[in-house]
Amino acid sequence: MKRIVLRPDYCIGCRSCEAACRSMFKGEARIRHGEVTADTLLPQGCRHCEEPLCAAACPFQVIVRNPETGVVRKSDFHCVGCRSCALACPFGVIQPALVRHMSQKCTLCSDRPEGPRCVQTCPTGALQFVEEEKLTEKRAGVAFAVRSVHGRRL
Amino acid sequence: MTQPTRTTCPFCLNGCTSGVEFNGVEHKMHYFTDAEVNQGRLCPRGNSASIVIDHRDRLCRPLLDGRDTTWLEAEALVRRWLSEVKPEELGIVYSRGRAADEIRRLHGLAQELGTPNLACGHIEPENAFNYRLEGVPDATLADIESAKTMLLVGDVFSTSPVASWRILEARYKDRKNRMVVVDSVRTRQAGFAHVFVQVRPGTEPFALVALAALIDPKVAPAVEVDRYAALAGVKRQGLEAAAAMLGPSVPGFVGSAMHTGRVHHPALHSLASQLVAKASTKPFTGFRETELPFGPMRFSDLRKAMGDGKLRMLFWTGGLFPSSYGDLLPETAKVERLVATSIFKPDPPVTGLVLPMTAELERASVGRSYWGSIERSPLASPLSGTRAFGRVLEWFGQAVEKSEATVSPSGVGEVLAMATRAAELARADGELLLVGEKKAIGLRGFHDSEDEVSIGRADAARFGVSGRNYLRVKSPTAEREFRVRVTDGVPHGVLLVGVNVHSNRCLFPLVEDELTGEVTVPPVGVTMEKTERVPVAGGENLSVWA
Repeated sequence: MKRIVLRPDYCIGCRSCEAACRSMFKGEARIRHGEVTADTLLPQGCRHCEEPLCAAACPFQVIVRNPETGVVRKSDFHCVGCRSCALACPFGVIQPALVRHMSQKCTLCSDRPEGPRCVQTCPTGALQFVEEEKLTEKRAGVAFAVRSVHGRRL
Repeated sequence: MTQPTRTTCPFCLNGCTSGVEFNGVEHKMHYFTDAEVNQGRLCPRGNSASIVIDHRDRLCRPLLDGRDTTWLEAEALVRRWLSEVKPEELGIVYSRGRAADEIRRLHGLAQELGTPNLACGHIEPENAFNYRLEGVPDATLADIESAKTMLLVGDVFSTSPVASWRILEARYKDRKNRMVVVDSVRTRQAGFAHVFVQVRPGTEPFALVALAALIDPKVAPAVEVDRYAALAGVKRQGLEAAAAMLGPSVPGFVGSAMHTGRVHHPALHSLASQLVAKASTKPFTGFRETELPFGPMRFSDLRKAMGDGKLRMLFWTGGLFPSSYGDLLPETAKVERLVATSIFKPDPPVTGLVLPMTAELERASVGRSYWGSIERSPLASPLSGTRAFGRVLEWFGQAVEKSEATVSPSGVGEVLAMATRAAELARADGELLLVGEKKAIGLRGFHDSEDEVSIGRADAARFGVSGRNYLRVKSPTAEREFRVRVTDGVPHGVLLVGVNVHSNRCLFPLVEDELTGEVTVPPVGVTMEKTERVPVAGGENLSVWA
């Protein structure tokens, strides 16, 4: 099961991830930059939660988590644009703005074997698409340690 | 889905490989991970290639005074207009979007037609990287990768985000590696620096000349370091710390960037950055979106000629489209016969003839990147209804390629003399200075509205504004209402706005650089007032949710 992780040490705030997503979906990006501090915008995308609240909130069970891949997907065909998912998301990453009367949600670019476009396009490699197990290993080490944005390692 | 087409991205000089694939309805971006320069990475500008190709506002018919016309009628009109004006009454302006070979043909055309009025209309300060200091080599990819110390002047990361990948890799490669940033705004890039020299807006050259003198007094002799440091608003100790890191014995490079609303004297900015490179025996790169040679006539002189009514016909090709900048270039309205080229529908409509061109992405060309020469192949078929630039040039004449004039490299003495002159011209800024912030964004509808103005905490307290308020900012040329954003990154007495959108660019008047006579867009003194608009509910700063 792979996840998108962010290395804040490398993020330069260029918003290429957002641009790649917007370029794919020709309109609304599904990964957006949000404020971490007053001076710091970092990309914030869908976490593909193990127990997704967006799925629980959806009145038509349009959002479903695939237990094998871990991807939380939304069926555009059945979405009525009620925005319940956007309100329920604890990370605020599902945009309330509707596109063609539907809310927009990250699919981890399941159509691409190479992985999500935002990761592929990231100029500095700040976004990475890694196996969850590997991530847990690395969390104890250095590579993915989260640092204060203003206290970059020197 | 068709096989992806592959080319070198034309949106900046980093030379990234980009590609698109066509699914029968629209183009999608394709990322080539085997590309040497970018390994599939693209900045927002590069990612907008597919959007540009498919954009619904692409122009596909000639327009005469805003109304559709045919190519046959357009050709007849151009030929008639040409017969009605004398050669000296014809002006030709080229800007970004024109390839090197096309510019050479324009130079040949101007010579053939006998008009001296050929000027480069790319008014972004970055074009001043045409000014080179003798004896300073260009940095290579290997120089960046093996750098142990680096100096970045201005916001290099925003100008070329993909180039920042290698710079950051070099910065993190060894704990002893050092990065120095000289800029007037504490940008994201400054957060990566070991030493950040925050200068007063537009005074980078003073700090750089002082820095060069500290690194090697033989290269920049008789420079009053304390005076120049004071002019830049920095302490000598900060410059000494930076000079210690940039010693000549350590391999590295110097990179510089500049853009609208950030620098007073672009040529001096370029040369002073190279002076530091020379003092520290490092190669240099001027990070920029495009490289256009100057024309035989300065754009400022061509503006004057237009204003004086000496030009009766104007052929404008490339970016900085007259319709977009009509309020900044009111002189264009005085020309009776305007022929312009565009890839998008002009908004507002233009009085004159507008010809739909094949986009950069739809034609082959050769050029240069920071790292060497490049060849571009078409990414998509030309949009139906558009024409290649060369076919339009044929209406004007034979247009044989002629090599353009180049600026001869300057010596150290000239740079120091320019710095002395700039120091004499330096004047106290007004109470509030508006500076610009440019990001590598895509084209048309691919960026935010840029309706926020950033202000420092101390100034916010002084003027009694917070993130809930709106401000009306008045410059000599325009005024606009902004939401307030309170931040630590902006120095005292400075307001910061994005300059990617036209409504904000209009706040910055075009002025003539006193050192070179070239048109430039420096920071501008403004006034501001709190508006009566109802404050926004919520936190101090607005997030993307607001």
